[in-house]
Amino acid sequence: MAAFHRQLDLVYPHQLDGCRDIPFADIRVSLTPGTRLRLWRRQICLWSESQTPFEPYPLNSALPLFEWGTNWIIAQRLNAYLLLHAGVVARGEQALILPAQPGSGKSTLTCALHLAGWRFLSDEFGVIDMERGLVLPMLKPAALKNASIQVIGARPNAVLGPTFPGTRKGDVAHFVPDRASFEARRTGAQPRLVVFPHFVAGASLRCVAIPPAEAVMRIGVNSFNYQTLGPLGFEAAVRIARSAQAFDLTYGSLDEAMNCIDSLFNQAA
Amino acid sequence: MSQAPDPAHRLLLLGLRQSLTVDEGQWDRILRLARRTGLHARVAANHLDGNVRLTDPVRRHLLSAVRVAAYRAQMVRAELFRLATHCKGDFPVVVLKGGAYILENRALAVGRFVSDVDILVPKTALRTMEERLRGAGWAPAPLNPYDERYYRDWSHETPPLRFPGRSLEVDLHHAITPVTGRLAFDPETLFETIRPIPGTPFHVLAPEDQALHACLHCFQDGDLELRVREIVDIDGLLRALASAPGFWDRLLLRAAQLGLERPLWYGLRYARAWLDSPIPDEVFQALPAPNAVARRLMDTLLPLAMLPSDPDFPEPIQVRLARSALLARYHFLRMPLRLLLPHLARKALLRGKARFSQSPTGDGNHGV
Repeated sequence: MAAFHRQLDLVYPHQLDGCRDIPFADIRVSLTPGTRLRLWRRQICLWSESQTPFEPYPLNSALPLFEWGTNWIIAQRLNAYLLLHAGVVARGEQALILPAQPGSGKSTLTCALHLAGWRFLSDEFGVIDMERGLVLPMLKPAALKNASIQVIGARPNAVLGPTFPGTRKGDVAHFVPDRASFEARRTGAQPRLVVFPHFVAGASLRCVAIPPAEAVMRIGVNSFNYQTLGPLGFEAAVRIARSAQAFDLTYGSLDEAMNCIDSLFNQAA
Repeated sequence: MSQAPDPAHRLLLLGLRQSLTVDEGQWDRILRLARRTGLHARVAANHLDGNVRLTDPVRRHLLSAVRVAAYRAQMVRAELFRLATHCKGDFPVVVLKGGAYILENRALAVGRFVSDVDILVPKTALRTMEERLRGAGWAPAPLNPYDERYYRDWSHETPPLRFPGRSLEVDLHHAITPVTGRLAFDPETLFETIRPIPGTPFHVLAPEDQALHACLHCFQDGDLELRVREIVDIDGLLRALASAPGFWDRLLLRAAQLGLERPLWYGLRYARAWLDSPIPDEVFQALPAPNAVARRLMDTLLPLAMLPSDPDFPEPIQVRLARSALLARYHFLRMPLRLLLPHLARKALLRGKARFSQSPTGDGNHGV
């Protein structure tokens, strides 16, 4: 447990002060020991309001369990917003949304853009405020998997938590957003550009514009609760597709992809 | 003492009926208790009309709850819409509980989470309806022969049917009490007073039968764990129905006819104690009350079992004991001991086996 607390302090460095004695919490969780009958390979469970929504994890993987578990609970409780499965970064008031299926390089691209000076809004959830048409920050560490740990870890100024080898999703390490992004955590941004990234090893850069109607459908597909929200979700997706241009981006080189995004964003803004 | 003991419980129960003016810390607690009991969208629906000042975090949780509940209600409507084509008018199809509240546009349906669609058909039509639905693509979850027989012989419903790819289950009933239970009565009497829902091929139970069914479902057909929402249903129905002239007389008469005075007494008692339901004193006087010992016991056990305990901690021992005691009561009411003991023994054995073979969930899928 002491190790978990150290890791938590490491990946949530900005939350150390000023987060005590908050009367209202979106979610509260406990990590509790798994069954005492196991004498070795001890396990840990995530407990929240008398429920344990996940199978236990090995004792030394408490942080990945905490991160995935809290994300899952957040997704259950945040249906006031359209929740995209997307990375979001911003320049000034203008946001770039990177919706993607797992394995398409979304987190790597989000972290790399953040390290190149963009404000970090979120990695897992693109939170769309449907009433104001804004994308809201959700400041949590980004979960980098397998090769992307090395790719991002090697970049200057990258802050990563410890690597957890061999979890259910492979090796995982958590990337820590910078202090300025944390301090702007209550400031939303206007969706300006939507890029659907596909990392393919060795592929050359290919960027294709997506017509708005198709963009709406693809935003829906990359959402946690598009179906749940019914017409509200549809209207929110239409609003994004009208206010932001959408592109499909296949790439094999991270730097080329970032350059391409830079020029797309400058044209759009 | 039938009053809800804890101030947070009292706030939760009050928030179901009227707008609360409370601070964020109290909202934090109310919302967590409400989530535990599936009442959060019901509370939320009372607070989003713009007349209550809410902080942003509280408001987004309330909005989230009503949006999910609205989606579930829409799914129920969609399922009923698809079921409608299989009602050919050759026998009545009665929609029970949540589905009925939605089709009748009742206030209690707003923010009420519905997890399945319950329909009732005459026993003689059960096979026909089941075959129609199976023929159209609805399918039961795979059951072992024992569970299959449990449903067929001892239960009042067929194994739940589900259309592949959809989340809602359809429970097809031929009675509203388990056929082996102590309170089993001939369901034919229910069909004498059903009424059609305009614009649909469906029927609903008569108002007094709906209220009795809600009481029966709460006190005879469930384990009561965290089931305060069943009392909320009873209260919501009473508030909707009581203004009709002669409602209470018909309710008492019907309860006597069907032998459901005991569950009605309990339903009315806790609806009044916890939710201040407008029930005339004469109604209580007209109903035979349980003896003092049974009353004391239920007054002690029910709040512990039905109301949520502190959401930050595992249930304390008295809560677990109360829930076990009421679960035992439920089994006892459901079937005679000569059926019950072999049934529970078999379930325990299967569970033990499943645990040894490391299967992730060894429980039977009808919760017994």
